[in-house]
Amino acid sequence: MKFKLKTIAIIMGLIFGSNVMAQTELEKLRSEVDSLNKKAKEWEAFQAPKDQLQTDVEKLNVKAKEWEEWKTPKTLIHLAGYADVNYIDVEDQPGTFSLGSFSPIFHFQFADSFMLEAELEFEIDEAGASEAGVDYLTIDWFMSDYAMLIAGKFLSPLGQFRQNIHPSWINKMASAPVGFGHDQAAPSAEVGLMVRGSYLTDSSISLNYSVYIGNGPTLEGNEIGDEIEMIETPGLNQDADGKKVAGGRLGIFFPRQKLEFGISAAGGKVSLRTDDGSGGYSYDEARDYNALGADFNWRISNIEFRGEFIQQEIGEQLASTASEGGKWSAGYLQSSYRFLPSNWEAVLRYGQYDTPHPSEDLNQTTAGVNYLFASNLVAKLNYEANENPNAGNEASDRILVQLAYGF
Amino acid sequence: MNSEFLKTYKTALVGILLVAGLNYTAISSADEDDSKKGNFVRGARAWADNCLRCHNVRDPKELRDDQWVTTTFHMRVRGGLTGQETRDIITFLQMSN
Repeated sequence: MKFKLKTIAIIMGLIFGSNVMAQTELEKLRSEVDSLNKKAKEWEAFQAPKDQLQTDVEKLNVKAKEWEEWKTPKTLIHLAGYADVNYIDVEDQPGTFSLGSFSPIFHFQFADSFMLEAELEFEIDEAGASEAGVDYLTIDWFMSDYAMLIAGKFLSPLGQFRQNIHPSWINKMASAPVGFGHDQAAPSAEVGLMVRGSYLTDSSISLNYSVYIGNGPTLEGNEIGDEIEMIETPGLNQDADGKKVAGGRLGIFFPRQKLEFGISAAGGKVSLRTDDGSGGYSYDEARDYNALGADFNWRISNIEFRGEFIQQEIGEQLASTASEGGKWSAGYLQSSYRFLPSNWEAVLRYGQYDTPHPSEDLNQTTAGVNYLFASNLVAKLNYEANENPNAGNEASDRILVQLAYGF
Repeated sequence: MNSEFLKTYKTALVGILLVAGLNYTAISSADEDDSKKGNFVRGARAWADNCLRCHNVRDPKELRDDQWVTTTFHMRVRGGLTGQETRDIITFLQMSN
């Protein structure tokens, strides 16, 4: 009996003892599990932002690639241009608000070899009707560092004003110099081929040149057809008289002195165009045509001087109903002073226009003050004194206000 | 100006085209030439020298990199810049905007 009790006591002790040991092991295991759970949660918490970060980096890579595409495509497209709005007060007439023109310029460039350039011109006439035109449209081939081939309708390279200074945000006056408007003394445009380029000698002299051949101008007669009214140079899209005109300009620029000189010349044949009564045109016998020009610009600090002379001349043609020849010439001198560091600028210009028609001759003096909101956004106020030098002819003075924006 | 003048002029034009075309071949084969890459300092000088010949200088920040490429090529035509001056000015404008 005593043995049995001892055995039971030992067994009970063993069971109790092992139970206590199991209890300790269990707690240890629970503690480890809790620790592992905690670590797993910490890992998850760490992993989530890492995944998010990786996703964000991938998105940024896509965006960066898209952005790089803006810089590296073979074809680049760009819209530029200019526009102006005006108020014009002509002596003895009521003042009037006037929309100048809206001239968007499109650039489509293929690599660094070709570019299509087109400047359109939208205007509103006095009756409010809209008019659209193509100022120029060319495909330019950059053949080498020193030569470009320009094909299409291009601005006349004779002189500087028509090809480079006419945009309203560039022209420091609100109007073109007298004689440099459309179909006056300075040729406007040409349809044909031109090679132009430049050569920099040793960074102290830059030579620039342009040579062209095109359809040439045509002559516009008066109503009776016995007198030449004007030489039209809009850039004819057909060489109806079969006579080409060729010409060019040679410029020399001294970068250090900010001084440039240019000479221009052109020659060929032109014909008088008359309405044939059936919606078409007829052309009389061709006659000689030539153009000569010279220009300069010079900048000293904040003072700029600019001047130009241009002349177009036609010969006699005895076989024509309007047999007499004639000469249209114009020139101007302009100086401007920028009151730095302010945005104000003063401009003075004197111009002359001589034609075979005494009523159209004009001497013009213009004084102006400009405020530059930005380099490409200019407000202008001009007083234009006009005088016809021929007795019996009058010309009216004008006040012009203009806001011009180049974009 | 007579027809003889025109004939001479046309011949000269063809000659210029031929010379320019030959020159193009030479330049194309030298595309990788480092000396032809745009240079910031030369570009800044060319920008300051040439833009004011016609108009007020434009702020480099006015346009994006790609827009300065087309704009400067446009000015190459209008202002008579060399190809190297064009690349230099583009480099200057793109690094300054």
